[in-house]
Amino acid sequence: MRLSQLKSVLKRELRMMFGRPIYLFSTVFVVAFGYLFFLTLINEGLPERLPVAVVDSDNSAISRRLARELNTTPMTQVVAGCTNFAEARDLMQRGEIYGFIDIPRDFYKELLAGKRPEISFYVNNAYLIAGTLSYKDMLTMSTLASSAYQREVLRAKGMDDEAIMGRIQPIVIDTHQIGNPWANYGVYLINVLMPGVLQLVILLMTVYCIGVELKTKSSREWMKESGDSLAVALTGKLLPYSVMFIILGIAGNVLLYKFAGFPMQGSLLRFSASTVLFVLAHQAIGILMIGLFPVLRDAISFAALYGILSFTYAGFTFPIEAMPPLAQGASVLFPIRHYFHIYVNEALLGAPFVNSALSVAAMLIFLALPVIVSKRLKKALINQNYPIK
Amino acid sequence: MKKATGFLTYMSVGLKDLFWVMTNELRHIFRDRGVMLIFFVAGVAYPLLYNGIYNNEAIYEIPVAVVDQSSSPESRDFLRKFNAAQEVRISNRCLSMEEAKALFTDGKVHGIVYIPSDYHLKLARLEQATISIYNDMSSFLYYKGLMMATNYTMLDQLRSIQIKRYNAAGIGGEQAEQLVEAIPGNDVGFYNPGGGFASFLLPALLILIIHQTLFFGIGMLAGTAREESRTHSSIPEHLHGRGIYRVVIGKALAYFLLYIPITAYIVGFIPKFFNLPHIGEIGTLFSFMIPFLLAAIFFSMTVSVFVKNRETGLIAFLFFTLILLFLSGFSWPVQNMPEIWRWVSYLFPSTHGVQGYIKINSGGATLSQVRFEYVQLWLQAAFYLIAASVSLNLVVKREKRAIQQ
Repeated sequence: MRLSQLKSVLKRELRMMFGRPIYLFSTVFVVAFGYLFFLTLINEGLPERLPVAVVDSDNSAISRRLARELNTTPMTQVVAGCTNFAEARDLMQRGEIYGFIDIPRDFYKELLAGKRPEISFYVNNAYLIAGTLSYKDMLTMSTLASSAYQREVLRAKGMDDEAIMGRIQPIVIDTHQIGNPWANYGVYLINVLMPGVLQLVILLMTVYCIGVELKTKSSREWMKESGDSLAVALTGKLLPYSVMFIILGIAGNVLLYKFAGFPMQGSLLRFSASTVLFVLAHQAIGILMIGLFPVLRDAISFAALYGILSFTYAGFTFPIEAMPPLAQGASVLFPIRHYFHIYVNEALLGAPFVNSALSVAAMLIFLALPVIVSKRLKKALINQNYPIK
Repeated sequence: MKKATGFLTYMSVGLKDLFWVMTNELRHIFRDRGVMLIFFVAGVAYPLLYNGIYNNEAIYEIPVAVVDQSSSPESRDFLRKFNAAQEVRISNRCLSMEEAKALFTDGKVHGIVYIPSDYHLKLARLEQATISIYNDMSSFLYYKGLMMATNYTMLDQLRSIQIKRYNAAGIGGEQAEQLVEAIPGNDVGFYNPGGGFASFLLPALLILIIHQTLFFGIGMLAGTAREESRTHSSIPEHLHGRGIYRVVIGKALAYFLLYIPITAYIVGFIPKFFNLPHIGEIGTLFSFMIPFLLAAIFFSMTVSVFVKNRETGLIAFLFFTLILLFLSGFSWPVQNMPEIWRWVSYLFPSTHGVQGYIKINSGGATLSQVRFEYVQLWLQAAFYLIAASVSLNLVVKREKRAIQQ
């Protein structure tokens, strides 16, 4: 009996889904486009050829060598030689370069005289990523130049190369970048942006497909079809979307960790299981929203606000603990926060499952949310007593 | 003479229609709770919200575990200096690497500094000593913070060790200084001196907030008009489907008027109030925002022609906000985008708006220094004005035909 009702609700929903382009456009197309966009946008992983400039007021053999050496660093490319500071600053304000080095007049002469001439680096930190990375390369260049000079002096004093290295660089730092050994920028962003797009789409679509029944006053028919059981009605309605979003989510995982070569220290299977939870949690939140505000446009606005804030609260660009205390607390209300924890544990750290248990439990709690509004939602669906616009 | 009066009548009728369309649209806006919510509440609240969240600009005192197996005066000196760096704080001193790794995996610390047992011995033998660090790569800011702190400490230690060694080798004073650092570097961070996160992200977000609230608000108005109007067209009836330009420009004027105060609040007041970068000249900023607003308005109107319902704009295009943010090139540099995405980005007013605004507001650029963006925005405004009119015209014609049949 129940099963046949479920079937008919399911059939009805599938008819709606394929009846209007909005359903498939704003789910399958949007998510696929999002995946494609981010994977191709940041395909380099680390920026190459960031434009920088050199102000060479010295124009000596050594100053020209410095400019050449800057060009050979991995991330920067010297695109302009300027004759003075004002010219380089103008280029920076125009956004044509992210930084420049300024080699003063008589640089070579002073170097030979042992007067320690200074080189200045200027970076545009309004573009934080490009600025930080081009600064790193300029710093490398100047350290290399300095030690090259040191080496020549010590050689002239008759020291052998090993002794020289011990003197030039008595301490070296051996850096281990756990889970992302290339410090790939794409790994920082895409791992979170892709589920981010997914949750946005899930929230909006869940709210829409329920809310539109209220708006077009077809909710009574829907309830009748399900034998007046809200559970049957919601299951039948949302099941096709659950399947679709789970497929999209897992396809994203496979795309990232199997094809794009993103790091996955732990188990892809376990992580994909949490993706299922992630999808269901957002559908549950969608039901909560339309239950709280049984007016399509209000619930949609609310879902939009929450979905956009999710990106902030994943805490992947700006860590949560750097936020003011009041803002920090709200982070537990976003499944993406817990999903991010699981991602860090599985993909980057390869931590045991116990470490993710709390996050998994938190996501499970979200699944219970529809219960809170079930009475209110059912009443609204049957009485249709809310404004439709 | 006759021609002149004809022209004058044409003009006066045109202006009257224009004025009618504008006031009519304003009336619609103020009566629509949803649109008011997007235009005014979202426009006002989002900048406040994001400033509140990112208020601290950077992360300080990242907890780090240290494993000091050398436990010598040298290693202790290194760690003392390291702990003094503002980015990090030694939260745990571990006896073994296993202990530190457990803390790391549990997320209690975001980095490990490991000093091997031969650290001081190697230094004493004038060999190269190694210190290992382990970075938490889950956030760029953890990575950056730990790298900065270790690099500063290392350079500082390097200097004092080298000076001691040269002194021991009989090289002293100025000459030792020169050997240690023949070419001192002097670095200056322009436009965002602290390298703060809010100062970097928010200028781009502010422009996007203007762009997207306009986009979704206009989409909602168009969708509602189509739902309500008997003929399903967004054209006022007394014009009988003629005078498309009057309709498009009249509506645009309504949005433009509303967005003058909103824009002034978002790009003028917010950066000053929250102490974000704001070295741009007000006059320059003002002149730049005019084509940006016009381009964004006509762009939104062009797309809104295809919006059939009140909510569909938001559902279909909300994710695009994120795409637009990254296409603007504020984060991943424009020079490193694949060519095709760069061309795609030129379709949207937000790209030039964000770039131009960052250059003017954060970098103090003049209008001639953002000429490219400025000209592009005017071109977009003109292009989308025509596009909005043409597509509206097509829709109206199609609907007329549908009614006649």
